[in-house]
Amino acid sequence: MTAELDYAPYELMAAVAACELKDGEIVAVGLGLPVIATFLAQRTHAPNITIIFELGIVDPEPLEVGVDGLSDPRIWYRAKVHTSFADMLGSVLHRGLVDVGFLGGLEIDAYGNLNTTLVGDPKGKFRRFTGSGGGNDVASNANRTVIIIRHEARKLNEAVSFITSPGYLRGRDERERAGLRGGPSRVITDKAIFGFDPESKRMRLESIHPNTTLDDVLSNMNFEPIVPDNLPVTAPPTVEQVRLIREEIDPKGMYARS
Amino acid sequence: MTKLATLAQAVASVPSGVHVALSGFATARCVMAFAHEVIRQEIKGLTVSQCVGGMDADILVGAGAADRIVYGGGSRGRSGPHYCLRRRIEDGTLATEEFSSLSMTFRYLAGSLGLPFIPIRSLRGSDILKQLQESEPSPVGTLNDPFTGQEWLVLKPLTPDVAVVQVQVADQDGNAWILGPRWDNEEQVKASKRTIVFTEHLVSTEAIRRFPERTVIPGFRVSHVVHLPFSAHPTSVYNVYDFDAKHIERFADASKTPEGFQKYLDKYVYGVENHWGYLELLGGMEYLSSLEADPVFGY
Repeated sequence: MTAELDYAPYELMAAVAACELKDGEIVAVGLGLPVIATFLAQRTHAPNITIIFELGIVDPEPLEVGVDGLSDPRIWYRAKVHTSFADMLGSVLHRGLVDVGFLGGLEIDAYGNLNTTLVGDPKGKFRRFTGSGGGNDVASNANRTVIIIRHEARKLNEAVSFITSPGYLRGRDERERAGLRGGPSRVITDKAIFGFDPESKRMRLESIHPNTTLDDVLSNMNFEPIVPDNLPVTAPPTVEQVRLIREEIDPKGMYARS
Repeated sequence: MTKLATLAQAVASVPSGVHVALSGFATARCVMAFAHEVIRQEIKGLTVSQCVGGMDADILVGAGAADRIVYGGGSRGRSGPHYCLRRRIEDGTLATEEFSSLSMTFRYLAGSLGLPFIPIRSLRGSDILKQLQESEPSPVGTLNDPFTGQEWLVLKPLTPDVAVVQVQVADQDGNAWILGPRWDNEEQVKASKRTIVFTEHLVSTEAIRRFPERTVIPGFRVSHVVHLPFSAHPTSVYNVYDFDAKHIERFADASKTPEGFQKYLDKYVYGVENHWGYLELLGGMEYLSSLEADPVFGY
């Protein structure tokens, strides 16, 4: 680590997310930062991970990552398999073979439940958003999930207004009792990393990023996470990780500009 | 037996009020020429379904041809939400049965296998499920596993009246290849009572027989084959043409307001006689050839 190393917040988040992946795992990836994180892991400590996209893509090697969406053929380039939802989300994810799934959302709560559907009252006035896609399926069936979300108070609430993708529901063993496997293991924001308390399943602060304070982290949340006495600072990305992101994974800087 | 039909003939076979499964996914292989012609022929009251909302569903909903959508959510990707869908969900004029990508796939799969229901591990504990349980009649239920006694969530199958699918290659009998990822299309076709195929390339049956492993849609499931280049424009058809980012942006801007969307329809749908007129309006071959896919990249 050099004090002068200049990196963008998303590069630190990608490096943190990459660390969540172990070599040999099967990873369900959505577009954006998870793609960068997964390719970073693949180029460093986890060369043998398998990447799947819900619509029917296995192990692509795209030349451009900051693309239009999963439907953009740029992200399918050099895939090993072209297949289907029934295969990816069915015989891989539903079968229990996905080790890690990445998720994002409009809003997350203290127990890792995610909302990508609507804000407001569905019976009254509300604003409609994307909905599930494969999000609910990944949240319900992956052996663990890693959630990436922007650290803003309006996005971090005690309870979400609509559970699109279940985390630990209202905590403790509620998720298990609902018949769901896995659950969120990490929440990565641009200010901090969170885990979940093994008993209560409430979100617990794990580390705060460099150049951030605990006060800054907490004052930009609408709920109180568990805060341990000893709070480390998140390790910044290495020179090599930053180089890989800028020169190999996203050489056109498309993600950086988005 | 030839099933070749014109766009107008194929669309005229779809009565108002039926359930149509659409092959689009966001901005890929959406049945846009079909949607435009449905709007021109003033077919109404359709139920549309697909795993992830595409521009085909958005324009049909926006133009008032569809009043009900069964889907797993979705957006256009980077160019934003499906504004027409959003508007009609928010103002309560669109009946919505909302699932997830896999639960939609399982519903088509159950339909394709002739099963009465299918168990799934998704949706539990979510508000998606709560909404579905509250709907009348509910498309979800619970059942105990006869072997373990464990309780399962079960879904009602989908058996659409027609699947409308954009492909790269087909013969006149409807044997069709889908190149690239297929998302829910194979299950949609097999769950539906019949299929209308839109193909970019029409080939001989001899060519189909040369590479039968590529055939995803067998001709016996197909009622009409429409050979129509650029029938998915402005969305992409892998290995044939890229999505038209400029036109998608134009559509996105226009569809932000009902007035803008109406202007778009007036110009690109009602303002042309048929698909050829639409292609001319875009700039004809000179413009369209700029979208042609590289054979290695596929885009």
